[in-house]
Amino acid sequence: MDVPKEPNFHLLSAPEFVPEKYVRTISHNYVGGSELKNLKKRIQALSDETNNSLKKNVYQNYVQFIDTGKEISHLESEMYQLSHLLSEQKSLLSALSATSILEDRTQVNFERNPKLDEHEIEEENKLKLATILEKVEGCKEIVEANDRVFIFEGDLLEIDATENTAIKFVHMYLFNDGLMVTNRNSNSRGLMRYAFESLYELSSLAVVNVRDLGNIKHAFKLLIFPDTRVFQCSSNASKKEWLDKIDQAKKLRLATEQQKKDQTVEKPSPVRAVSMDLSASKPEEVAVVHPEWLLDIPDELDVCVAQRQFEDAVNYLRKAQNYICKFNAKHSAPDAVILNIQEKVELKQNNLIDILMNELEVNPKKSFQGGLRATRTAVRLLNDLGRSTQCCDLFLKLCSTMLKNQAKKLKRETSTITYIRYFTSATFTNMCYMIEEFLRAFPDLPYCVSAYVAWAHGHLTIITNHFWTQVFVTKATLSTITECVQLIRAQCERLCEYGIDFRYKLDGQLRKFINTALNEHRDKFIDSIKLRANEDKWIPMNFKTKGALTRCLQEHEKMGLKLDSYVSGDVWLQLTSSNIAFTKLFLVFLDNCLNLQTTELLEPINDSLCSVFEAQVAYNKQALTFQPEQNLFVLKNIGFLLLVLVELTQRKYKESIGFECEPLNKLVNENSALLKDLASRNTKTKYSSDFL
Amino acid sequence: MEKNMSKKPTVQPALHKVIMVGSGGVGKSALTLQFMYDEFVEDYEPTKADSYRKKILLDGEEVQIDILDTAGQEDYAAIRDNYFRSGEGFLCIFSITEDESFQATQEFREQILRVKNDENIPFLLVGNKSDLNEKRKVTFQEAQDRANKWGVPYVETSAKTRDHVDKVFYDLMREIRARKKDENKTSNGRGKDKNKKKKLKCTIL
Ligand SMILES: Nc1nc2c(ncn2[C@@H]2O[C@H](COP(=O)(O)OP(=O)(O)O)[C@@H](O)[C@H]2O)c(=O)[nH]1
Ligand SMILES: [Mg+2]
Repeated sequence: MDVPKEPNFHLLSAPEFVPEKYVRTISHNYVGGSELKNLKKRIQALSDETNNSLKKNVYQNYVQFIDTGKEISHLESEMYQLSHLLSEQKSLLSALSATSILEDRTQVNFERNPKLDEHEIEEENKLKLATILEKVEGCKEIVEANDRVFIFEGDLLEIDATENTAIKFVHMYLFNDGLMVTNRNSNSRGLMRYAFESLYELSSLAVVNVRDLGNIKHAFKLLIFPDTRVFQCSSNASKKEWLDKIDQAKKLRLATEQQKKDQTVEKPSPVRAVSMDLSASKPEEVAVVHPEWLLDIPDELDVCVAQRQFEDAVNYLRKAQNYICKFNAKHSAPDAVILNIQEKVELKQNNLIDILMNELEVNPKKSFQGGLRATRTAVRLLNDLGRSTQCCDLFLKLCSTMLKNQAKKLKRETSTITYIRYFTSATFTNMCYMIEEFLRAFPDLPYCVSAYVAWAHGHLTIITNHFWTQVFVTKATLSTITECVQLIRAQCERLCEYGIDFRYKLDGQLRKFINTALNEHRDKFIDSIKLRANEDKWIPMNFKTKGALTRCLQEHEKMGLKLDSYVSGDVWLQLTSSNIAFTKLFLVFLDNCLNLQTTELLEPINDSLCSVFEAQVAYNKQALTFQPEQNLFVLKNIGFLLLVLVELTQRKYKESIGFECEPLNKLVNENSALLKDLASRNTKTKYSSDFL
Repeated sequence: MEKNMSKKPTVQPALHKVIMVGSGGVGKSALTLQFMYDEFVEDYEPTKADSYRKKILLDGEEVQIDILDTAGQEDYAAIRDNYFRSGEGFLCIFSITEDESFQATQEFREQILRVKNDENIPFLLVGNKSDLNEKRKVTFQEAQDRANKWGVPYVETSAKTRDHVDKVFYDLMREIRARKKDENKTSNGRGKDKNKKKKLKCTIL
């Protein structure tokens, strides 16, 4: 039979450990209850220890987890700033390239509908057609046909319509008027990867979405009498894209055809049918008659803008641009009337944009009575006009001005705390409101979101700087500073609700201020310790009346200290005046430190706490040597500091931070000789009644 | 030149192509989905053109049905004609609660006959939503008269209660099957016949 081993961690946590077996061996080997009881105690201790270390580990991991989270949120806001910078750079570059290439033409840089730039589109299309010509054998006539516009292309697998088996891979091209099927080129020489197979007119092509074809998924059918061809896409999304693209192309084609019909039916007014400058090169092209409303649009726009009916103006713009866009997609040759209108409309649009921007412009004469709400229309229309970027910048500038004005209006209160309460509450309430308005004004625009975060980030610096001048520069007490810091932290937390976590950033910005404040306070504290120690007579405190002593005891009890054991007689307390004063100040200091603490501030806090404590202990030790007749009494005072006060301090510290202040424990250990001395003399006095 | 001889023998059972036609909202999709999956859809989502395929037992013989559920209307007549051309039989549907949809069947019938160029094309006139009898706008007699005039059967269905849903599909498939048998016989016996559709089919196979 095995000799039962001492219970220890390794034994109990070994993989081969079986509780039943262990208990059996123990009961075999141990005789008598006391031995078993001892063993139980040891196991219990082991369990407590494991429990504690487990808790400690969990806590440590937890702290690390929280810190990492903070770091990440910090990084996130930095990424936002980066993205903001990048998009700014991008818009700058595009503005630059636009000005240099198109010199004197006032080129409008549309952000959201770059499609309106018909020149670019045409160029792009030509380029695309050229590459198709290079890639596909035998498609010369098709690609070179007049005004054919490329829309979409992709690889598909053709399926046998009756057998449900794969036939071959095809590459399909969608044009504005037809669908071209090409096969893989078997004798691929050089670039000709595909060979032309067939072209289907969109105006007679019946497309069918295959919902269910047994195991053939993501397929669609083309019905071209008498053929039925089934094509399989790589995914459902790809199929949807093909069906949508074909449908759109068909709709567009129908619309343009309809327009053509309308135009020819409409009364032909010879005045409007301006002959074109370039018509000589294409004599067969007939002059097109444009609808009346199009020609009236520049005037209508003037009227709308004059009457401040911006919304109507934008609608007119849209209508004109749509018409022009469709027209240009259909006609390769420029049309003088269209060019003329287009130029005018562009001018009017720029004018309208200027006016709308002006609405958002910061202007000292303007009042912001309506707040951000008053800007809603202008912002929406500018977004519509593809000016979100500039609009967003103006909007944020406006926010800045409003925050500044509002801060100026705030009265400088006599009490720093009251002022800071008003200031932080007003500022952060405004920032929350601004986020709400902002998200409403610019939903789903990534550039704008990053612009907002960058703005808020910058604004936080302004806030903390103002905070600093109000709180730190005025030489406020540490308690005031602590309360103010708590106020601003709580306010800053409100932003988290909107997904903007600046707590880490705020703490970072306040850190150096708090650090300085802590150091200053520590130095002052040490000075006052010195002063009091010099005045101290190192004798027990005499409270003169019983009431005064009771009051003192109550006061300390409120702070968490029971001093009853130090009472002697009716009016005496066996502690010196400097130690009593120190205790009170130290506990206030401790509270402030704990309220200010962040992980990054732990070191300076520990340092400050220990420095002042060490100073106080040092003066007591000095007294020990200079006042030999009071030796035991001073020793008891030291005992009070290192045992009673430290115990309370550690309790509070642990409650707030989670673990004990190690440097303070070290301080206690350094003085363990004194404490031992005290302990031995205390036991002695138990037997000798002539104490004092 | 025979259909099944020109290629290697098919593994797949015979395929019958059915087309659902009728105005928007009469229940073409609802009937199709009820037949395919035994489910009734409440929410109305206009169809573009969807196709479904299913293997079924038709009088003990395994066949495949291919259903083309069309949109109420198609902007290009040429495209609509191409849809109709691909069908071997038609369910022409209207809603008994909507007279307009009943009137529209006339035009659908004409279009189909023009495209298929065949008076005897398998065709059923279907009055759907029979569960909404209290809202009926088209009398049974009216519809029956029209069907008689065309020489086609008239059936009332409900995609909601599944009433006669299987019947219209199975009846139509029987007609299609019968037509195909007929054609085979005639083409076997007399070679080319006057049927244009069939002629075209032969040339490709
Ligand atoms: N009560 C009732 N409603 C039906 C019936 N068939 C279709 N519906 C409803 O009518 C609407 C249009 O049906 P849908 O199948 O989409 O018509 P489609 O445009 O012809 O495809 C849907 O809301 C269906 O739920 C029916 O037999 N009875
Ligand atoms: Mg439908």
